[in-house]
Amino acid sequence: MRKVAQAAFAAAFMLGAAQMAGPAAAQQTLKFGALYPFSGGLALLGDESFRGLEIAAEERNAAGGINGKQITLVKGDAVDPNQAVGEARRLTSVENVSVIFGTYSSSLSLAATQVAELAGIPYFELGAVSDPITERGFKYVFRSNATAKDFSVQMVDAIPNAIAPALGKKPEELKVGIIYEDSLYGQTMAGYQKARAAEKKLNVAEVLPYSAKSVDLTPVVLRLKSAGVDVILQTSYQNDTVLFFRQMKDQGFKPKAIIGAGGGYSLRDTMLAVGPENMEGALDVDFTQYKTNPKVAPGMEDFLKKYKAKYNSEPRSGHSLANYMGARVFFDAIAAAKDLKADTIRAEVMKVDIPVGATPTGWGAKFSEQGQNTRAVPFLMQWQGGELVTVFPPDAAVAKMKTGVGTN
Amino acid sequence: MDVFIQLLINGILLGSMYAIISVGLTMIFGIVRVVNFAHGEFLMVGMYAAYLLAAKFGLHPYASVVPIVLLLFAMGALVQRFIIQPLLSADEHIQIFATVGLSTALVNLALLVFGADLYSVPPSTVQRSVMVGGYSLVIGQIVMFVCALALVSGLHLFMQSTPLGRAIRATAQNRTAALLMGVRVDRIYVISFGIGAACVGLASALVMPLYPVSPTIGTYFVLTAFVVVVLGGMRSMYGAFFGAMIIGLVDSLSGYYIAPDLKEVVYFAIFIAILIFKPTGLFGLGRGTE
Repeated sequence: MRKVAQAAFAAAFMLGAAQMAGPAAAQQTLKFGALYPFSGGLALLGDESFRGLEIAAEERNAAGGINGKQITLVKGDAVDPNQAVGEARRLTSVENVSVIFGTYSSSLSLAATQVAELAGIPYFELGAVSDPITERGFKYVFRSNATAKDFSVQMVDAIPNAIAPALGKKPEELKVGIIYEDSLYGQTMAGYQKARAAEKKLNVAEVLPYSAKSVDLTPVVLRLKSAGVDVILQTSYQNDTVLFFRQMKDQGFKPKAIIGAGGGYSLRDTMLAVGPENMEGALDVDFTQYKTNPKVAPGMEDFLKKYKAKYNSEPRSGHSLANYMGARVFFDAIAAAKDLKADTIRAEVMKVDIPVGATPTGWGAKFSEQGQNTRAVPFLMQWQGGELVTVFPPDAAVAKMKTGVGTN
Repeated sequence: MDVFIQLLINGILLGSMYAIISVGLTMIFGIVRVVNFAHGEFLMVGMYAAYLLAAKFGLHPYASVVPIVLLLFAMGALVQRFIIQPLLSADEHIQIFATVGLSTALVNLALLVFGADLYSVPPSTVQRSVMVGGYSLVIGQIVMFVCALALVSGLHLFMQSTPLGRAIRATAQNRTAALLMGVRVDRIYVISFGIGAACVGLASALVMPLYPVSPTIGTYFVLTAFVVVVLGGMRSMYGAFFGAMIIGLVDSLSGYYIAPDLKEVVYFAIFIAILIFKPTGLFGLGRGTE
């Protein structure tokens, strides 16, 4: 009997202690999920994206956290959509995070957001571009970055807005070739490009899909060359970009302009593998990169300093900056919410109203009912002397746009 | 017409790259009778070796052929001795799973060590193209063509006229009979797997200047290599060579005249047709040899 009483007393005591420790510990930290591909083929840019979130969280913590509570990031490693689902479940049910940030890759985001939505946990997408992520009527999925459609529209619009004037020609005089790797990514982008080109009444001479695992793109190059294409729009990954540029040179094909988007075009590795002299003049519609006029991207230089101090290297792409910008916007919204309930957070996200040119990426922030940021506008960049510099729109530009591709 | 001839040239040069990668697979497939799914990853390992030799010692990939071939020979021999050999009497599926597992392990090892970044060797004259009669040829591809021819005839000679080559052929024809004749079958398998892997070593040194290496580079080539091997009749070196030429030409021509994304459809259609009408491959030795 005495033992039972002892046990009961001990249990009661522990319960009480747990109850006391519970809220006290919760006051110290906020657990936020960070769902990215940290291993596998997408790991490079997944990790680069995470770094932006990490720097934003550390900066926030140094400044006192969110309403006095420190942010703890709980990592979830999503290699493929199955694992993204598994990790999202773990974060929401085992780790009990209040919100999740992610994801870099669209297929991972599409899978993980479903889990979070069902669990009623807000999901902040900071980097995946596929449009349907914010087109499924989800209440608690919010995205700070531009979508594939925004990218495609910018790529096509660069022809009448920037390229044709630089060449001293009318836009419809230029022959356009649309080439893309034939997975969902390329198909989606090319679909929007074709539609936009038709709207703008451009002369599309060739539309050529190819496999990103192709080891020979000479047939694509020769098709474009035979059709006399002036401007190429390419949606690609890294390897196929490198191959295309090398084989374009082998075949002596010199288009007047070539515009790519994201992944394949913006990475330094791509430029180094192609060679700076061959990449010279290639245009890229992308997340904001670091050679952008700091006047339109306040806070970018500060981010660069923090990045170099923490990781001891230059950022590998603009993904970290985009994630940093989004994380800051959403941290502010969470801080403004009086509790961490999904509906309270949603109400605060809907109130966000930041004009274009007031964040480190130069984007603004204003969210649609669907949770999509309507003020994220990708810039037009160009490889010049081994650097990716912003050339359009003029107030964000740090250099004048050149025409032609390659220096020799 | 100009484009057509350029496509033909391109197809043949592309074919020689497929040939040089497929010869090693033919060797392993035809003699050890193991479907080596890690073949592409052997190529990847060789390419990283070439990259490291170039980055650390400034060696041109062509100059690092000897160490890479030796390295890959050792790797192939070890794989046969410690992974395949214990499974030789097991079901074929188990051997296949072992090589698939090896392939996954190697890809992830590369991801761990090098990350998903692309690495390429410093540009050299090998990447340049020369104009011959108005057609463009990449120097590195011409080298590959010459090496593919030399490798195929060299291996053929070796198999036909050396005692070791005869022992290898005997083992391939009938393992038990070879064993009875005093051939040390296990050792022959180790050597054959090693030679097969060494051929990939040669391929990786030649491919490195033209393609940047990443952990998944093997998957770009290996499926095509399997088609080539089956097309060529599993065991025939010349078969693999001509099979590779056919695939190279189909790849090049259908990419232009049909559509770049449909070229795989075309050569897999050919592949299926051959499996239906001539299951021993174009240069196979007839029914029952496989």
